[in-house]
Amino acid sequence: MEETKMASEFAVWHGINRSEINWHPIIDPNKCTGCGLCVVTCGEKRNVFGYDLQAHKAVVLYPDNCMVGCNNCQVSCLWNAITYPEDVDYIKGLARNIEKETIDKELANKLSKNPDLIL
Amino acid sequence: MSADQGSQIVNKKLWHGVYRTQLSWYPTINDDACTGCGLCLLTCGNSVFKWNLQEGMPLVASPQKCVLGCTTCGKVCPDGAISFPENPATFIRNVIVKYKVYPKVKEDLNEGLAKFPDHLVDSHGGDKNGK
Ligand code: SF4
Ligand code: SF4
Ligand code: SF4
Ligand code: SF4
Repeated sequence: MEETKMASEFAVWHGINRSEINWHPIIDPNKCTGCGLCVVTCGEKRNVFGYDLQAHKAVVLYPDNCMVGCNNCQVSCLWNAITYPEDVDYIKGLARNIEKETIDKELANKLSKNPDLIL
Repeated sequence: MSADQGSQIVNKKLWHGVYRTQLSWYPTINDDACTGCGLCLLTCGNSVFKWNLQEGMPLVASPQKCVLGCTTCGKVCPDGAISFPENPATFIRNVIVKYKVYPKVKEDLNEGLAKFPDHLVDSHGGDKNGK
């Protein structure tokens, strides 16, 4: 069920191709009670989940839209139905591999577009 | 564009009927561990952080804008300089139980599916994800 449709704005993560990053929720359908909290937790912009009204379960529709390092849907699932293919160390490893110039450039860019973020 | 943390809901100040202002959830930066890389500010789509240009360091400027249960900036921080008040799953569980949010979640889900019908999956029709 790895249907892959990726919004272009998420295609690159700090210089690393998003498609090379292994981070997205996986739902265990046997544990999912269909409460829907993961679906609405993810929000409208990334909107990773679909919902199956017949089966009464959440479904991962767009895994590559998942925010690298986020697990907000997982912590909202009281039935522990959501896991990830990797752990926090994997995320830290990715973060440490980002080129310093890339972050510096992105930071300068974000601050110039959002001067209210500058103290 | 960097990132968002999902929950537009929080921007409306309500989390499935619960007032965000009733709840306390935010990152704390350990300035001794922080190297000032800037990744936390880039990661957060909710303007929780500001940037101290003189020091070249972030600071937590708007803790009430932090998404409930989110720890994304903490996970990406290469130096492990960001911490949270408690385990996020425990925090969210307590909110869910205390405020009995599921009826509102169901409403929000139905609203979301009406707005984004491509997120309706029909397991019986088998057009998408079908089996
Ligand atoms: S939060 Fe958990 S139980 Fe609820 S719909 Fe999502 S995966 Fe299923
Ligand atoms: S981890 Fe975050 S971005 Fe990814 S699916 Fe869950 S809520 Fe959405
Ligand atoms: S990501 Fe961590 S090390 Fe980098 S600026 Fe933020 S707190 Fe400091
Ligand atoms: S946990 Fe960090 S990334 Fe998530 S909303 Fe709060 S400040 Fe932003």
